[in-house]
Amino acid sequence: MPIQLSNLSKNYGQGAVVADVNLEIPSGELTALLGPSGSGKTTVLKMIGGIEKPTTGRIVIEGRDVTDVDARYRDIGYCFQAYAPFRHMSVAKNVGFGLSVRGTAKKEIRQRVGELLELVRLSDKANRYPAQLSGGERQRMALARALAIEPQVLLLDEPFGALDAVVRSELRSWLKELHQRLHVTTILVTHDQEEAMDLAETLVVMHQGRIEQVGRPLEVYDQPVNSFVQSFLGPTTLFDGVTIRPHDLVVSPSGPDVVTNIDDLGFEIRIAVTRASGEQTWVQLSRPEFLDTKIASGDAVSVSRR
Amino acid sequence: MVTSVNETPAVSTSPPTVRSRRLRRVVSTVTAGGLLSTYLSIIVILPVVATIATGVGASPDTTSGSWWPGDWVWHSNFSAFVDAIGAPAAWHAIWLSVWLSLLAASVNTVMGALIAWVLVRDRFRGQKFIESFVDIPFALPTIVAGVVFIYLYGPASPVHVNLFEAWTGLFVALLFVSLPFSVRTIQPVLVAMDRDVEHAARTLGASPWRVTRSVIIPSLVSPALAGFGLAFARCVGEFGSISLIGGGIARTTTASTYIYNLTQGFLWQGAAAVSTILLLISVTVLTGATWFAASFHDRRAL
Repeated sequence: MPIQLSNLSKNYGQGAVVADVNLEIPSGELTALLGPSGSGKTTVLKMIGGIEKPTTGRIVIEGRDVTDVDARYRDIGYCFQAYAPFRHMSVAKNVGFGLSVRGTAKKEIRQRVGELLELVRLSDKANRYPAQLSGGERQRMALARALAIEPQVLLLDEPFGALDAVVRSELRSWLKELHQRLHVTTILVTHDQEEAMDLAETLVVMHQGRIEQVGRPLEVYDQPVNSFVQSFLGPTTLFDGVTIRPHDLVVSPSGPDVVTNIDDLGFEIRIAVTRASGEQTWVQLSRPEFLDTKIASGDAVSVSRR
Repeated sequence: MVTSVNETPAVSTSPPTVRSRRLRRVVSTVTAGGLLSTYLSIIVILPVVATIATGVGASPDTTSGSWWPGDWVWHSNFSAFVDAIGAPAAWHAIWLSVWLSLLAASVNTVMGALIAWVLVRDRFRGQKFIESFVDIPFALPTIVAGVVFIYLYGPASPVHVNLFEAWTGLFVALLFVSLPFSVRTIQPVLVAMDRDVEHAARTLGASPWRVTRSVIIPSLVSPALAGFGLAFARCVGEFGSISLIGGGIARTTTASTYIYNLTQGFLWQGAAAVSTILLLISVTVLTGATWFAASFHDRRAL
């Protein structure tokens, strides 16, 4: 049984942050809520987690209407954006908190915490305090803490937002692996389309409190329902008046168009072209492709679709 | 250009020479260090040393003509110090000050935390107004507070509560003067507290009371201790209000009033001797509380 959101809205004052959201989130899958800041994605997550009360609408998790159920009875593991560690507790105490609240026997808690710390690779940091951990370690601790209560649903709010690029990609592949192992229904909130494309089995694109599109990541990428979704999921450019992806264009030497600028980003090369019609467009090439074309700024070229 | 390894390059359009940089460092050390130590010496250290010196009856014989105190012959009257602090009335006064201050500071630490909580977490009409009330004990001269208390809780009390010449009167006065400290130390910590930490505890199944006990209170220990230390020191030092409401009888004479009484009889050494003990107690409690607060905070601070 999935998570069902029906007619879910949240108003603060007069403005609607979330407006009439209807969504079915499949069980055991990883679903990403993707959108720019202010799109209402975090508010949706908070309402599922029971931290915010919806203004209208219902939330049903695995067949149980939890709309009026307090957060503590929802059986949800929530990882907060800034990890929200209990600073005065050791890593082991943090992870075991949910169990000790439930009155689990000390011996069992110790054993479960041991397993979880192994799972998130923090066994050697059990007696440290959150302040002594790196950002990535703190995130893994928060994850272990949320998983300790064996939740039906795992909610992750911008799990990699505050990490540097290397740790971020490391943690991302680790999370992917973890999800494939545990198969806990997971909802991830992010503004990073690459992260969402990589991790999610289902992508939910949100904008201004509404859902724009729901689908498999590649489906949404290739068949966006509108220009917002298209431009949010990746770079776009104009060609013959049509919005397309710049990697769907190629440049070949000689022709009516003129190369006005070349941005070399390493693997990716961006070539700005003014076409004979006066249209400004740009082409995205990989380094090997670019080296084959042997073009330079100011060259006459022709741009065409692949 | 020659640069030594352990020096960070100065941010400047023309790089300074090693000598000018060294000179600048010396000048800045001398000015900063000099200014700080001179000011601290004059404002704090000198009076403290003078109090202790007077207390032990230190008197210099400067006939050697040297300017340096180390060259002088020092006489002291230590037995007078012992006599002064050994007097039963002195002990009574010091003890009264200490336990009343401990009690008042403790009550205000709890009440201050609750007030800070309401001011930060609740929203109600007139909140700004109430908030400004908290600082009144800072603003009001304590002798004025004493006058008000005598009127309100004295023999002619309009509310028929007579605390004149009673320890409860002193206690109420101390509660008044030390209230702002814990409120103002705990409040900023509550403001800065990440609400998601409480939310996290809730999603993990904690009851509201459990959230308070396991998450909120532990993070307030450190500022509460700091506030307690300040409130205690303030109470020990209070004079104006409690000398009035105490009524000048032996039973309600606190250390500060006792010292004042000694000065009225020109018993300067005795006054300084009791002051030294008072100083010692205040400094011990204050640094103790600060130290505990810091050690509690250190490993936990992010």
